[in-house]
Amino acid sequence: MHGWMGKILDIDLTHRRVTTRALDMDIARLFLGGRGLGARLLWDEVGAKVEPLAPENVLIFAVGPLTATGYQTSNRFTVSTKSPLTGTILDANSGGYWGMQFKRAGYDALIVRGRADTPVYIEIKPDGVTIHNAQHLWGQRVRATTQMLGQNNHKRNVLCIGPAGENLSRIAAIMNDGARALARGGPGAVMGSKNLKAIVVEGKERPETLDQELFKFMLYETRKLLRASPLTSQALPEFGTAVLINIVNAIGALPTRNFQQSQFENAEAISGETLAEKYLVKNAACWACPIACTRISKTDKVEGEGPEFETTWAFGAQCGIDDLAAIIEANALCNDLGFDTISAGSTIACAMELAERGLLDSDLRFGRADLLAPTLEAMAARRGLGDDLAEGSARLAKKYGAPELSMSVKGLEMPAYDPRGMQGQGLLYATSNRGACHMRGNMLSLEVLGLPKLIDRFQVQGKSAFVVLHQNSAAVIDSLVLCKFTNLAVAEEYFARALTAVTGVPYTTGDLIRVGERVWNLERLYNLREGFTRADDTLPPRVLNEAVQDGPSKGWVSHLQPMLQEYYRVRGWNENGVPTSGKLKELGLDCL
Amino acid sequence: MPAVKLYGNLRRAASAAQVVIAGDTVGAVLQALCADNAALAAAIFDGAQLRAHLRVLVNGHDIELAQGLDTRVHAHDQIAIFPPIGGGRWNSVQWAVFSIQSTEH
Repeated sequence: MHGWMGKILDIDLTHRRVTTRALDMDIARLFLGGRGLGARLLWDEVGAKVEPLAPENVLIFAVGPLTATGYQTSNRFTVSTKSPLTGTILDANSGGYWGMQFKRAGYDALIVRGRADTPVYIEIKPDGVTIHNAQHLWGQRVRATTQMLGQNNHKRNVLCIGPAGENLSRIAAIMNDGARALARGGPGAVMGSKNLKAIVVEGKERPETLDQELFKFMLYETRKLLRASPLTSQALPEFGTAVLINIVNAIGALPTRNFQQSQFENAEAISGETLAEKYLVKNAACWACPIACTRISKTDKVEGEGPEFETTWAFGAQCGIDDLAAIIEANALCNDLGFDTISAGSTIACAMELAERGLLDSDLRFGRADLLAPTLEAMAARRGLGDDLAEGSARLAKKYGAPELSMSVKGLEMPAYDPRGMQGQGLLYATSNRGACHMRGNMLSLEVLGLPKLIDRFQVQGKSAFVVLHQNSAAVIDSLVLCKFTNLAVAEEYFARALTAVTGVPYTTGDLIRVGERVWNLERLYNLREGFTRADDTLPPRVLNEAVQDGPSKGWVSHLQPMLQEYYRVRGWNENGVPTSGKLKELGLDCL
Repeated sequence: MPAVKLYGNLRRAASAAQVVIAGDTVGAVLQALCADNAALAAAIFDGAQLRAHLRVLVNGHDIELAQGLDTRVHAHDQIAIFPPIGGGRWNSVQWAVFSIQSTEH
């Protein structure tokens, strides 16, 4: 067995039963690991009638055949489940160290099912798996829980939920290694619904590599490419992902005040440049990563990891806030309470607009940086208005009579790029299987950065082909599981060669992209089985109907429909967005 | 006169993040900007051309989709220059873009 460990760990919390079973290698070759393997297992495990917070839902933690091999950025892992926020298939993806350690514990995936009758945590060690009482941990925040369970980056790694997950907030994250997050779509609530507080791993195995010489060569080539790229060797290490704030704002695509505007007049104050100048202590890296984009920031009140571009935007421009210290503190609080920062910031922004329009009785207003921390605390505790905000912006806006004020797709809050300023990004958001998501294949590179050539961001016709390619590529990277920043400098052919060297299974670039296409179509089938239709592939009314008033994107709305029609054709789906039988057969999904 | 704003590590090579410089095209403005600053010139230009993947916007619109360095500018225009934040071996999407665009010529 090379690359994969060949084992799935299965823990039933209802019956406190721990079993292992062999990894089906046919499935492994077709879906690799991570997001792909998680989707394939979830298809069998969780059907359409299962409520996301019921014991019948499962959490599937998965790593990939490259995880823990030492290949650059091979530290990442995923969790798959049915989302309590969107009702769609969900996978979330995190870095740090936990994934590497889980692979070293000897497994490719962990399925957690059922519900414990009292709070528990799971400990996975070389000498066995134990389910422990966690009542002394219940109520503790993420940092305290992580310390109490003995976090040591290279030897013993803690994954846990904070109060947000315990209180079943639909935007709760699962945190690992103290400050890394499986964030989007509410997986923290699923974990909380199982009374599962934490999973601790220690491992000592190493995945086998078949062709050591070829693998070493691929490591060498990848290292050269990462060093040669200005993005992975300079911009990201020096400024972090927040380097994007100024350029996205300059083109008029930085959503501001709940997408009411597309430029923030104080973007400079919350930019990567300002972060580096005023608050940065140092940068840091996940395991086996030479890029080191992680920020360690310090204010008078907090010191810790972050903030990233999306977080800086969500608590910054999206809330009309230019106080970077307050944003850094909000990020730290989200990490400690266990929240998805994008959804938390955007839900608060939605509440701000509801309040300014007189629909919600609250002091929340755009620009009220002083209310970020108290609001987040109330959300985690489900106290007062926090109880409504903990449900996410879609349910919040609907409750207060203005569902159109939730800037979300399928219930997942849109990230930091305004579709009216980047047409392709709007198509990406509308068609993403887990709801609006920029990590399913960001059009930033083509529509803004000009990699390899600039495509007119206002162009509508022809965009779908690029979106499809981006989505397929992102899906396979999530299944390997690697960091997408590697792909900014290193082509998929390198991943294919590294995978072949490790596993002995011959993969070409085309094979990898087909894995991605297969995963994408399986996720689509899952959502169709859940009852999602073409009508759900849409964008908020503001983005479709309200033209931008000022700036470089003035006069634009998202022209989604022509792009969507073209997208379905390119995907090989019918006009209702259903994969044809021919497409399913081509991908080996016709048996499902 | 147009205002030029520099971002990222370009600010280290310049005396200020924002300057006002005379010129009626982007090329003329950038030449004037770099006239007494060899370090900035090296960061922005590769011979007579812009460095690969440098992004230059006029009022938020990329000059690559206009007339490049010959793009005309006017008083009160805002020119923004972002350092290269890309490059390296093309991934599959980039090859696809290249091949799609190549067949269109």
